[in-house]
Amino acid sequence: MSHADTLAVRVVAAEQVTPQVKRFTLAPVEGGLLPAFSGGSHIIVVIRGANRVHRNPYSLMSSPASLEHYEIGVRRMEASRGGSHFMHDEVRVGSVLDIAHPVNLFALDKIARKHLLIAGGIGITPFLAHLADLRSGNVPYELHYAVPAPDQAPFCEELTEREAGRMRMYHRSLGDRIDFETLLSQQPLGTHLYVCGGPAIVKNAVDAARGCGWPDSHVHWEQFSAPPPGDAFDAYLAKSNLNVHVVPDQTLLESIEAAGVEVPYLCRGGVCGFCRTEVVAVEGELVHNDHYLSAEERASGKVIMPCVSRARCKKLVLNL
Amino acid sequence: MLITGIKSKPVYAPLQPDLGGRYHLMVGHGVGGGPLLRVLQEFQASEPSAAGRTQILYMTEAGAPDEFSAQMRSAGVANVRLFDRTEALLGDFNAILGSSLMGTRLYVAGPESFMGLVMRIALQFNLNKDEVRAEECGTLARRVHCIHCRAVTESVKTNIAQCSGCSRWLVVRDHYSRRLAAYMGVMVDAEVPGELPPIKEVFL
Repeated sequence: MSHADTLAVRVVAAEQVTPQVKRFTLAPVEGGLLPAFSGGSHIIVVIRGANRVHRNPYSLMSSPASLEHYEIGVRRMEASRGGSHFMHDEVRVGSVLDIAHPVNLFALDKIARKHLLIAGGIGITPFLAHLADLRSGNVPYELHYAVPAPDQAPFCEELTEREAGRMRMYHRSLGDRIDFETLLSQQPLGTHLYVCGGPAIVKNAVDAARGCGWPDSHVHWEQFSAPPPGDAFDAYLAKSNLNVHVVPDQTLLESIEAAGVEVPYLCRGGVCGFCRTEVVAVEGELVHNDHYLSAEERASGKVIMPCVSRARCKKLVLNL
Repeated sequence: MLITGIKSKPVYAPLQPDLGGRYHLMVGHGVGGGPLLRVLQEFQASEPSAAGRTQILYMTEAGAPDEFSAQMRSAGVANVRLFDRTEALLGDFNAILGSSLMGTRLYVAGPESFMGLVMRIALQFNLNKDEVRAEECGTLARRVHCIHCRAVTESVKTNIAQCSGCSRWLVVRDHYSRRLAAYMGVMVDAEVPGELPPIKEVFL
């Protein structure tokens, strides 16, 4: 299967879960079952907006045991580049969307002795799929779920019902915050930590874990954030002999795709390393926003992750 | 059949202190006491408080003089436990891991077969490579698992050895099982019974 292979799905339910979050239920247009997936997987939804195509990753939040449909939770981003607004305003029951097959970059460790799940807001979505697996297993787990306020807590009711005794809610509006140091300094050996949410909760949890002596192999995270915007710039694709213009709120990868050139990708969030692209020449500086390249690779100026990174430059030549 | 050059053979390295850890658990046998003391000295130099968050489980070599335990006891370590039997040490080690917290680093030093038994327990507690350091010192004699009868033969020093369970002659491979804490032994004279390659002492 090429990364570009997509699957047509129809929206069979669209539910406003909180003022900001909608849950979409997707079923295959051709009938039958959807591809199997494991908890923590995401799909890419191809969003054909008025002016451009977005390819946004969304975690699958339905149970891996039921393949009649997938569920995704979409948060309307205030400063949306257009994708989440389109999903909220234009996509309704009956709409047909193209999705890429599920990929898992946030799986549970199979031999962990305990799972500690920390979610911030819409970062709860991959855990909903994980919890479907964890409930039927016998490995202990805990969910710590931080939200801005009680009315901004997606899926909280169904979770509270299913996870009573294994879940704690934190409402920022009530001054209730996760005490990472206390939480992470008291976990039994063999615990794995999983964090999903915005940049702040991921950084706080990962830093606290390191401070408590956790080794990296026990710390897993998935950050939900849109690629940061930046100045407009131009890139020249040497092998294709094409010039592409990247506007401030568009990614380099999106601009390359709009020009008809394929780049392999999985996460579109700067972590998986698939879209790694060779820089032939740059006059100016590369703005690295990824979590994948090493400090040496960044400093070399020879490679870029176009899904999230950009350039502030007069000239950029890519080996594409 | 590949005898050597097999990737599963464990790789060891001189012990280094890992001050990223909050607690330190050291396990040693015989001359393995030396590397443990070296790590303690390095704690002393770079982060003296680390000794107070360190426990040592140590077993002397049977019949050999005890050169290390006195120094261990005087190094400000939170807890030093001495043993004369592997089983007793492993039992305590298992209990300590059961009540240990994330942030613990394990340091193991001693003969490979001893370290294998320690690591087998550590594996059950899901300790990964970035939490465990191991330095080999002492005899290279191997625990050998007979792939035919599944018995384990201890202290094998030769390339070919007789199985303690089924008496087959086994060639000792570098194929190592962390779960069994043993190298694999495979019948060496299956084609022509009794025809054995030269037997040499190789694991000294």
